[in-house]
Amino acid sequence: MTLRPQRKPVLDAAEEFVDPLKNYAQREYSDDLERSLAEDLPVDVMTTQPAKTVSTDTTVGDVMRMMVDLNIACVLVTDNDRLVGVFSERDVLLKVADQYDKVRDCPISLVMTHEPLVAYADDPVGKALNLMAVAGVRHVPIVDVDGKVVGIVGPRRVIDYLGKHLGQ
Amino acid sequence: MGLQDSIARDTVSELPIREVITLPATCTVRQAMRRMRARRLGCVIAVDEQGKPVGKFTERLLMRLLVNEAGGLDQPIAKFMYADASAVSLSTPLAKLVEQMQSRHLRFMCVVNEQGKAVGLTGQKGLMEYIAEHFPRAVLVQRMKPFLALDEREGA
Repeated sequence: MTLRPQRKPVLDAAEEFVDPLKNYAQREYSDDLERSLAEDLPVDVMTTQPAKTVSTDTTVGDVMRMMVDLNIACVLVTDNDRLVGVFSERDVLLKVADQYDKVRDCPISLVMTHEPLVAYADDPVGKALNLMAVAGVRHVPIVDVDGKVVGIVGPRRVIDYLGKHLGQ
Repeated sequence: MGLQDSIARDTVSELPIREVITLPATCTVRQAMRRMRARRLGCVIAVDEQGKPVGKFTERLLMRLLVNEAGGLDQPIAKFMYADASAVSLSTPLAKLVEQMQSRHLRFMCVVNEQGKAVGLTGQKGLMEYIAEHFPRAVLVQRMKPFLALDEREGA
């Protein structure tokens, strides 16, 4: 029979346990809007639905017809439920407008913006606004870790969010 | 001072103001489209002889026209534009600007001087930049790259 060496206790009897989070200072914000930008998730405090999605082989003409009928500025393009691109009014202006008759029957994947900037479902509202301000994109898809679309943040929804915080 | 207070106190003059594209309302949609593309701007402001705004033509109207109106590109923008250019002055309070944009679903606001002449453009993008500027700690340190999810999960 072998004797195991006796383990030293984590704390000596005389030693007092010190909570490592004892001095944790909670972040302070000047107002509720700042707190919300830093901590709230877009899916919780903004309207992130509906986010209209189409498949990569939908034609340019069909997508534009849908955008006009639904009065929306942007659609998300998915392949097997995974986000692969976005198509917005800006893409219409830059890539489609002067050759609409030629590209109308082409797949949307030809003219969409590939690899769009995204925010993740657990990113705060400030992240989405950062992308809009710094990168200059107007629509930010919200995706989960698998790249599946869970919503979209667009300018109108941001303005509504700001309006709520300003009491309008 | 917090962001809410800043918005309540500041005026449009604190927003980034972009150079506006102005055209007479008799210009064709094709001409307007080319100017918008060259400047990567989603809107042109139609002005009268004094430079005062009389209407607004946006990329949304362009898309509607392409879908619904074959041959519309060679017609004057006056036929399709919004008759209201959504003008604000530099002294308009930001809170009022937000209210107008929210209630009327506006993206672009034409900035006019004391004589009512179009001198700039602001709107949703300007507001986003204003917020980013007034809220740098949480906004500017965020990572910014395209979605690069792994095909397979990491780890064992």
